[in-house]
Parts: sequence; C-alpha cells; structure tokens
Amino acid sequence: MKKISLTIFLLSLFSVCAFTQQTSDKKYSLITSTNNAALTLFSITDPYLSPISYSGIGVGIEHAERKYFNPENTDFSMQHKLNSLVGIALNPSFSASTTYLGGAFSWGAFYHYRKFSDVQILAGATTDGQFGFKSNMRNVNNPINVDMAVNLNLAASLRYDFLIKNKKVRLIYDFETPLMGCMFVPMVGASYYEMFDLWNLRNTIHFSSLHNKLAYKSALVLEIPMRTSVFTVGFSSHSLKYGANDLVFKQNSFSLLLGYKINLYKFKGNDNTAPSNFISTEK
Amino acid sequence: MKKYSFILILLFFSLYSCIDEPKLEENNHSGNFESLWKIIDTRYCYLDYKAINWDSIHTVYKTRVDSNMTDFQLFELFGNMLGELKDGHVNLYSEFNTSRYWKWFTDYPSNFNSSVVYGNRYLGTNYMFVGGLRYAKIHNGEIGYIYYGDFSDRFSDVNITNIFTYFKNCKSLIIDVRNNGGGYLDLSEQFASYFFTQKTVTGYMQHKTGNGHTQFSKAEAITTSVHETIQWQLPVAVLSNRMSYSATNAFISKMKIAPNAVIVGDKSGGGGGLPLSSELPNGWMVRFSSSPMFDATMQHTEWGIDPDVKVDMNASDSANGYDTIIETAITQILKY
Repeated sequence: MKKISLTIFLLSLFSVCAFTQQTSDKKYSLITSTNNAALTLFSITDPYLSPISYSGIGVGIEHAERKYFNPENTDFSMQHKLNSLVGIALNPSFSASTTYLGGAFSWGAFYHYRKFSDVQILAGATTDGQFGFKSNMRNVNNPINVDMAVNLNLAASLRYDFLIKNKKVRLIYDFETPLMGCMFVPMVGASYYEMFDLWNLRNTIHFSSLHNKLAYKSALVLEIPMRTSVFTVGFSSHSLKYGANDLVFKQNSFSLLLGYKINLYKFKGNDNTAPSNFISTEK
Repeated sequence: MKKYSFILILLFFSLYSCIDEPKLEENNHSGNFESLWKIIDTRYCYLDYKAINWDSIHTVYKTRVDSNMTDFQLFELFGNMLGELKDGHVNLYSEFNTSRYWKWFTDYPSNFNSSVVYGNRYLGTNYMFVGGLRYAKIHNGEIGYIYYGDFSDRFSDVNITNIFTYFKNCKSLIIDVRNNGGGYLDLSEQFASYFFTQKTVTGYMQHKTGNGHTQFSKAEAITTSVHETIQWQLPVAVLSNRMSYSATNAFISKMKIAPNAVIVGDKSGGGGGLPLSSELPNGWMVRFSSSPMFDATMQHTEWGIDPDVKVDMNASDSANGYDTIIETAITQILKY
C-alpha cells in the first residue's frame, strides 16, 4: 500500500513539474496600454460653416494598446488607438463660436527594426475611422457640419532608450500620415435638410488620397519608468487639410500630453514584474 | 536615407500647398465689402432668376466704401446693397444691428387683425393652446379653427391627435397661417402629411454646385408622405397673407395640391430659397437664399403662392369683429 501511495505521489509530483515546465515555456503576449490626457490648442477652418478660421482650446484623451501578433515572433506587433477631443473655438472677432467634438479609432500593424542598440524603429500601416462634429449655432440651416473619414495610413515610430541618473528612459517619436481613403464632404450649397431629410447625398462621399487630403499626426513623448508603470509626458501636433466640392477644410492642433503606460497583467502583488515568458512590445 | 527623408518632407509640403485655398479678404472695410459681394455672387441662388446685375451692384457700391466710415455706416451700406436682392431671407447680422428687407409684406395689405382673430367670434379668450397651435371650435361648433403663428414652435403627433379628436364632430377645418414668418421645413412637411391620402411629390429643390450663377444640382423631388396614423380627410382651408413666409410658404405650396384643401386669402409672401449662412472677416454673419425650392409644377416659389380664393380683409368687417378671410374660408369649405 505504501509503495502504491509513494508511486502515486511521485507520479503526481512529476506531472505537476511537467505542467509547470510547459507553462513556463509557453510564451504569452502582454498588452501594453498607454493612456494620455491632452490639453489642446486647435484651429478649424470649415468653409461649410464659415470661411473664417476659428481658434480655441480643448481637452481630450488618448488610449492605445499594443501587443505582438505572436509572442514567438517579436518582429510584428499590432496596435489599436482611440482618441477624442472636445473643445470650443472662436472667430477672430470673438463674435461666434464653433464647438468641436471629434474622435478616431485606428488599428495598425508594425514591423520592429532592431538594428541599432538603444534605437528601435517601428514601421507599418494603420487604418482608421474618424468622426468630427462641428457646430456653429449662429448659422441658419447650416449650423452643423460633420467630418467622417476612413483612412489607410503610413505610420512609423522611433524609440530611443538612454539613461538619466542610471534610470533608463525612453524617447518616442510617432508619425502617421494618410495615404488614401474616403471622406464625407457636403456640397457647399446643400443644406442638411436636403441631405438628410430628402436623402440627396450625391457628391458627398469622395475618394481621398494625396491629391486632395494631406495630413500628419506626430508626437514626441518621454517615458519615465516608475515602480509599476511608466509616466509619459510629451506633446503632439496634428495638421489636416483636405478639399472637395470646391471647399478646403483645415484643422491644426497642438497638444500637451500627460499620462501613463502599463502592461495589462496581474499576477500577485502590485510590485511583481511579469514572468519572462510574458512578452511585452516595450522590450 | 537623409536624402530620401528630405525629398519626402519636400513632397509633403509641396502637395500640401497644392490643395488650393480660396483667397481670404483682409479684415478692413474694402476686404469686408469684397467678401460680402463675393459670397452673394457665388452662393446666392436667385441672381439670374431675378435678373440682378450683381457686377454693376459691385461697381455702384464699391465707390461708396470709404476707409473712414464708421462700422455703423459700413453696415448700413452693406444692408442697402443686400436690399437690392429683394429677399426676406437675406440678412446681415452684427453685434449692433440686423439688416433686413421687409417690402415683401410692408408693400401689401396686412390682411390680418389679431384683435379680430382673438375676438369672441373666433379664438376668444378660452381657446386651447399646445405646441404653438391655438385652436377652438367656431361657427356653432361646425368648424375647427387652428391658428399657427410660427413654424419654429414644435408640435407632436400626440398634440395633433388630441386636436383632431377635439374637432371630431366638426365638418371641416381652418388652418390659419397668416403672419407666420416660417421656421422649420420639416414641420411644414409633418403638418402637411396629415392632409394627404397618398404619397405625393409636392415640390422640388436644388442647390448651388459651383460659383457660377447657373450652376445648380439636379432638382430633387420633395415628397409629402401620408401620415401613418393621423389623417384629416374632411375639407380644410388654409389661410394665407403676405407674411406667410419661408417654411409657411412651403406648407402652403404643399397644401395647394392636398385633396380637400383650399387656399384662401392673399398671395403668400414667398421666401422659396432655403437660406444658409456665411461670415465676413470682421465677424458679421450674412444669411442668404442658397437652395431654390419649386412647387409641384417646377415653378419657383420665391415670390409666393397664389391662393385658390383671393380675398382681402374688409375694414368694416374688421370693425364689426368679422375676419373677411375666415368668413370666406367658412363659405368655401362648407360648400364641399
């Protein structure tokens, strides 16, 4: 009986060890989440509402998550981003205002170049859907205009690691520019009554590419590691210009960013780092 | 690598400047004048229809712009220039004044006396009032009378259901939209839908597609649907006068072809161009007719809709508490 019990115990121990070994060998992709709050200075030119440029201030949030497609292959990662901005802008004579509410969701894939020590280049493509709601309530029958666009973008990110007082910090420069897509642009003389009550949407959806839409988004962010997360501070700028139906729209913004970055995992205790088989795109 | 980056950056900025932006005028008297003139020249929809020589207007008014003018004087000059369009939908708005053209009704008989309408013979003092609709039974309870003075006052289907229920024993209905200067087009659509028995094309609409005076989109049909649950299929008279304008004009245009409906009173005021807004460099806002609307026979409605029964108010009737237009409407609808 004792022999049987010992055999069972040894077999159990062996199987547990084997399972543990299997678990620790398997690699998992960690999701790295970045959250930033943004204070934004922006200007809008929307000739459907007014030919005059309006300037103002707004606040926004940005959320991004990145992970490897396959933890066994650390060359390719994917990222999705969600950002929003709400703000108010005034005309130069301060006699009218435009309220802006906008956001975008993007998804992209990146290749990680690691040819240089301390420098990593991520290059890839993203696709996004953008929505913006602009309201100039002083107007009659054209108090609102809506931005809607879907874009295929070229995107790149440069990461540079360096030491400050023996602390490894990271400087990141992100750049993104649309290559093609489609966008909603109303006809200059068409009211929303005609478009959305009579459903006359002719000439409102346009193919966009470099001939009629140029934009870039760039951000320079410093990442300072803290105990269990990373503190992020930086700024971003966004410039957009597009034209259709004899209308040229412009939007420029400059944002101060403040936020944090964490790996989305929980093992035990707040101070515990992830085991080595949990692969983060931050490495 | 550096070379390619430089070329890419150069390409980006050259393409950026390729999207041609319209030239904006300076914020001075002359720049604001040019800006206003150009907005009307490129976006106002009735220049050719009204045979207005806008180039000559430029010549005449440009010489009157003086850099020493006060803002008040400049505003008056701009207002006078816009007055040449003879359009109640054209206004200039500043922080101190609103320019307007009112001759579309001031040059005509008023054909409305509110003290008569609110007198005991019609609404009286105990009339019902909901969603901007004032209503009462008149003519010994035979006729339901609704006065609707503003198409900006929203009403709901529930409001209309209750009003029609209140009028269920009436033989006919009068809808008085005299002195109704307009409001929401969708409300005029909704109001008309209670009186149609089948989906009907009641008008057309176009919009400017370019800067040329004749550049318009293909006419889009405006269809009035039959309301699914609320129907008034007894005779109805719509009362109009010159102050029945804009969305009210659109309502009258639809009701003109509604079954069992008759338009009584004076020609409506017009305002067939859906107005949009734009802005001058100094922040003044200009409103102008942008999208011409037509009746079911593709005729412009800018100058108003002729009534089926033309009648003016009679001063002696008014003095005796009678509204000639309402009385004529009663006679007409009781004939049905």
